[in-house]
Amino acid sequence: MTINTPLTDNELILDVANVGHTYGNGETAYRAIHDLSFSISTGELVSIVGPSGAGKTTLLRILAGLLTPSQGSVSLLGKKVTGVPEGMAMVFQDYSRSLLPWLRVEKNVLFPLSTETGSKEERQRLSREALHAVGLDGHEHKYPWQLSGGMQQRVAIARALAYRPRLLLMDEPFASVDAQTRSGLEDLVLRIRAEYGMTILFVTHDIDESVYLADRVLVLSKPPATLVEDVHIALPSPRDQISTKEDPEFVHLRGHVARLIRAGGPVPAAIKD
Amino acid sequence: MSTSTVAAPNMVVRGLKDLSIRFLYGFGFLIVLILVWEWATVAVPSLFFPPPSRILRTSMELFFSGSPAHLFLTEAITVDVAGTVSRMLLGFIIGSTVGILAGTAIGRSMILRELTDPNVEFLRSIPATATLPLFIILLGGDDGMRIAFIAYAVMWFVLINTTSGVASIHRTLIDTAHTFRIGRIKTLFRVIIPAAMPRIFAGLRIGSTVSLLAAIVSELMLATNGIGHRLILAQNMFKMADLWSWLVLLAILGFLLNTLMEVIERKVLAWDSLARSQE
Repeated sequence: MTINTPLTDNELILDVANVGHTYGNGETAYRAIHDLSFSISTGELVSIVGPSGAGKTTLLRILAGLLTPSQGSVSLLGKKVTGVPEGMAMVFQDYSRSLLPWLRVEKNVLFPLSTETGSKEERQRLSREALHAVGLDGHEHKYPWQLSGGMQQRVAIARALAYRPRLLLMDEPFASVDAQTRSGLEDLVLRIRAEYGMTILFVTHDIDESVYLADRVLVLSKPPATLVEDVHIALPSPRDQISTKEDPEFVHLRGHVARLIRAGGPVPAAIKD
Repeated sequence: MSTSTVAAPNMVVRGLKDLSIRFLYGFGFLIVLILVWEWATVAVPSLFFPPPSRILRTSMELFFSGSPAHLFLTEAITVDVAGTVSRMLLGFIIGSTVGILAGTAIGRSMILRELTDPNVEFLRSIPATATLPLFIILLGGDDGMRIAFIAYAVMWFVLINTTSGVASIHRTLIDTAHTFRIGRIKTLFRVIIPAAMPRIFAGLRIGSTVSLLAAIVSELMLATNGIGHRLILAQNMFKMADLWSWLVLLAILGFLLNTLMEVIERKVLAWDSLARSQE
């Protein structure tokens, strides 16, 4: 498997070329995405932000190989995505439905790991490491539903980390937790990204969150979604919930992204069909 | 969160305690009823309702007067009860297995569901007991027919519950299994079936009751042994005390069966009841 060979930075990991998607056909057809292209390099943290109902979930399902796009193609590590690709993990918004309620925390983290991942000892080491990275030491033997929402989402993140993906997709992962928990989880994402050198694609509808976390923010238009702007975020690292958000550059960037979203993007006349 | 420290064993102990208290109250009332019956039937003797003391004596004679080599069990136990129970268990196991497998397949496939839904609704409307004559014509009068009949009766309840349980699994759970590239077999046995288990168990519980019912009904015709067969014999010979003895034995059997299912369910679905209690 190519999963464990180290990659140098700036190597292309995900390439999205002219992807479009239409649900159904005939008069009831709904065009969710129109001609969307972008790429992500190794080690980048890219967030995707757009108005609600902008086809973000459709896009993620296409990237994850759960849905075949009507047009265009997606490549992960140079290979065209036809089914669910190797080397990719996803963290869902709905953690309580993504975790297996009949398994304890440790068993949930171990669940996706197969004999291909390594010996039993190796898998247990990966699981312990991941649970430690998300700060859940000592909770291994609890059931997910005995934990708070934020802790459950941390279990889901640990499960994805132990799987050692090359690309981590996160689908509005913190949309269902309270604001305090949320900023803690955002910093957790930055920390594990540094620790694991993970490449992350983070979908959110929260503008502050998208700017705070990312190296680049991809702003999507109203449906049919297309790329409005690829905003480069030149904020210093490490980021900090208070000082980064006071930075005039942060204030400028979030205003810029917010305006792009409010305008719904410069939609070309050609696609207003 | 204070509830997060609740440990599983406490809940089980509390559950068993509730159960035994309930049992004691119910049992006390049952004794009162039996005493009233005894008093009434001694005061006004009836041909049809022998006093419980006589039913008890007849039962001892009927079931526990065998040779010491057979632990004092009579053939009524070693042949008739054993025959009924073994056919019932086999029929239950076969019917449940078919019901779970077919229900999972139907629950997973929208197309299959639309194809089978009206048929399932129609076929299950036929009272299973009414199909016994058909089973006898198709399969003859031996034990194989009885087991097939019991399995058929049980299957519907398990099938319908499994179908709805599997069909209502949230998409996120299935997507999770897919994105981690969990194989089909592992997804089926370790994600889909456990997730549908609370509903499947609802079907199994009804199914277990139905299996006893179908086992007895299947012995009312063309049988050479079994509890149903002995009930018919007692009826033909007008042995009222025998008839009542068999009914009491059936009550005990049904009670044991329900208790067994309850114990298994508490063990298998401990996560579900505990998760619910925290909501």
